[in-house]
Amino acid sequence: MLSLKTATMAAFMAGTTLAVPAALAQDYPTRTIEVIHSYGPGGGTDRFIRAVGVPFEEISGQSMVPISIQGGGGMPAYANFQQRRVDGYTLMAISPDQIIAHVLGRIQMDSFQPLARVQYDQGMILVPESSPFQTIQDFMAHARENPGDLTVGITNAAGFDDTVMGLWNIETGAEVTTVPFGSSEMVSNTLGGQVDAMHEEYGPARGLIESGDMRPLVVFSDERLPVLPDVPTAVELGYDVTLGRWRAFAMPADADPAHVETLYGLVSEAVATDAYQQIQEQAALQYRSVLLGPDEFQAFIESEIEVYTRVLDALGLTD
Amino acid sequence: MLEAYGSAIAYLFGNPSSFLLIIFSVVWGIAFGSVPGLTGIVGVALLIPFTFVFDPTAGLLLLSGVYVGSTFGGSISAILFNTPGSPEAACTALDGYPMAKKGQAGKALGIALASSAIGGIFGTIVLMLLAPPMAQFALNFGPPEYFALAVLGITAISAIGGGSVLKGLVAGLLGLGIATVGLDPITGTERYTFGNLSLLTGISFVPAIIGTFALAEVLQRAGERTSTADVITDVSTKLPSMKEFLATRYTLLRSSSIGAFIGALPGVGATTAAFISYSEAVRWSKRPQDFGTGVAEGIAAPESANNSAVGGSMIPLLALGIPGSATTAVMLGGLTIHGIIPGPLLMETNTQLVYTVFIGMFIANILMLVFGIRAARYFALVLKAPYALVGPAIVVLCMTGVYALNSNIVDVGVMLAMGAFGFLLRKLKYPIASFVIGLVLGPIAERSLRQGLVISDYDYWDFVSRPITAVLLIASLVSLIYGFYGQWKRHQDAQAAKMAAG
Repeated sequence: MLSLKTATMAAFMAGTTLAVPAALAQDYPTRTIEVIHSYGPGGGTDRFIRAVGVPFEEISGQSMVPISIQGGGGMPAYANFQQRRVDGYTLMAISPDQIIAHVLGRIQMDSFQPLARVQYDQGMILVPESSPFQTIQDFMAHARENPGDLTVGITNAAGFDDTVMGLWNIETGAEVTTVPFGSSEMVSNTLGGQVDAMHEEYGPARGLIESGDMRPLVVFSDERLPVLPDVPTAVELGYDVTLGRWRAFAMPADADPAHVETLYGLVSEAVATDAYQQIQEQAALQYRSVLLGPDEFQAFIESEIEVYTRVLDALGLTD
Repeated sequence: MLEAYGSAIAYLFGNPSSFLLIIFSVVWGIAFGSVPGLTGIVGVALLIPFTFVFDPTAGLLLLSGVYVGSTFGGSISAILFNTPGSPEAACTALDGYPMAKKGQAGKALGIALASSAIGGIFGTIVLMLLAPPMAQFALNFGPPEYFALAVLGITAISAIGGGSVLKGLVAGLLGLGIATVGLDPITGTERYTFGNLSLLTGISFVPAIIGTFALAEVLQRAGERTSTADVITDVSTKLPSMKEFLATRYTLLRSSSIGAFIGALPGVGATTAAFISYSEAVRWSKRPQDFGTGVAEGIAAPESANNSAVGGSMIPLLALGIPGSATTAVMLGGLTIHGIIPGPLLMETNTQLVYTVFIGMFIANILMLVFGIRAARYFALVLKAPYALVGPAIVVLCMTGVYALNSNIVDVGVMLAMGAFGFLLRKLKYPIASFVIGLVLGPIAERSLRQGLVISDYDYWDFVSRPITAVLLIASLVSLIYGFYGQWKRHQDAQAAKMAAG
């Protein structure tokens, strides 16, 4: 009910968004906007907020700063977000991790007013240079003959990576075993040959791909990446795995609709600047990072919940 | 390589302001390290926006200087107030504070400073000379090796017990047990949270350590009502004399080597290095029972190890693009903003940047000696105030410090509960050191054991028969048996002495 209401409201707002931001900028925002997130300082999400924050400040005159509250499956960050006053100055950076927490019954997605989905990354399976597997076909042939023998390093247990690899197992009908690590140990264990492969996005793995230390076998996206023209997508192999990590802003569910409208205008302006686009390109995020406004983002969240529920059910992680 | 150093030196002298940056960063780092709640990670993260105005080399010089300074800074408050200013310095409090309480705060600070500088320079030299081969060697360390390393550190708890192996083990097991609260590292399911979502974070190590060390100490002092009796009097900071210094040379060498190596392992950093080298110092000491009462080796070991780990953790960052610690992870983020792609090619494509940072870290370690002495002096002035004022101030610092770390109010609750728990442990004469070692190394042992078993498909033999793992595990077993034997022998000797006397 609530989400339906917000969706209609958002749809109405989206129509008027582009015309107004400059006029409303006078009375809102008048001070710093804080964006709570549940990852480490210097990590992908922290950098994402800073990257949007720089042009945001130039446009609105107000700064946008990340507040990192780590650990606990994102619960402490969520609790902090909910305890704060609803005055338009607290946002939360959300990602598939919140969808997972929702599916696991830990948080409610309808406590968010979706604001803007900005980045949409694409993951891939990478093997170390020394790996005997040259192509994804080699890799999967081995996985079919020896179910569970191949190990894939991932970050965070029962998180986004686990879901992607779980969906991969469901779609391919083969079985690879996931091993959760911290992000840097995942890379070192893959390079050192302790695990057979790892799941990672292009940006963080770029240096290792360019030096030849890692070989991407498959990319989880609808189209091949222009920078990796020889790496097939899961879709062309016949497996419908396109789940990617996305980064987005959300406000509290009962946020003032006028604030949502103004802020979306400012964010979309900030994202359109060359300064931001350049940073996005460095991390190879430009390929499918289409900016989604409040209503489209709401619809996207609903479709994500459906997919994640299906995968997490199949993995036996939900009650 | 010489050419690379040449261009680095040319850069430094071509940009004299970079020396100012190094000085600023070391002072900033010491300040952030010494105030509880402001850690090196926060110090580095806050400076990242400021690096935008510099070129990437100057930016990285700034960040690495902060890292060097903050790792020492934490020991100041650990020694003077039993309140580790940063997690890396937690281990330093174990012997630093008792020494300060004996009226030798100056000596304790001097040892910490000298050991930090030696360790820091050692780590930097390893980084300069051995970065690529060390990074490659560290890749041989998979989960089974991490597990064996953690077990080796944990078994030292039996030697720490202040004479009682049993009490050491009980305290250590309590630490291991408490560390299991929160999210399961492999399956992501909830453990011991009793449905309370705020416990999902678990008993984080920093609030636990600030509670058991600092808060428990204030509680104890309040209970003793001896506010004027054992005041810390000597607060001058003298570097240790040559004789005292030479006495700890093996500890320094061993701890610096352990520090550089553990630093180079991704995912574990200076804190783990400090605890493992403390464990080793206890194990190799002729008088292990004296640890925890304020012995020089007990300060020299963790301080040289954690500073050496600074250089060590830069190894995987620069050689492979993998951060070796939480602080280098933040630095990696800073580099990326400057458009530098961290990875194995970094040392070839950005030679000047890498070698300038090497030299910069070297200078930073020397400057740390100069500014460390000053910083310690100013901090020590606080001790001249009566404890009736200092005690409550420490409690406030504990609460704000713990909250500031992660803006999580649950951590403050954990800190308070751990304060009471630490007070109880002290009253019952259980060694806090063993408890904390269990708490710090337990999660590493558990996570890597289970990762390793998933990889080996639960083949235990496959797990323990890896050469490095086997050697480390056998060493742990021998050490454990030796601990019991030592206690039995001391007991026998005491009996014999009693018989002879009677």
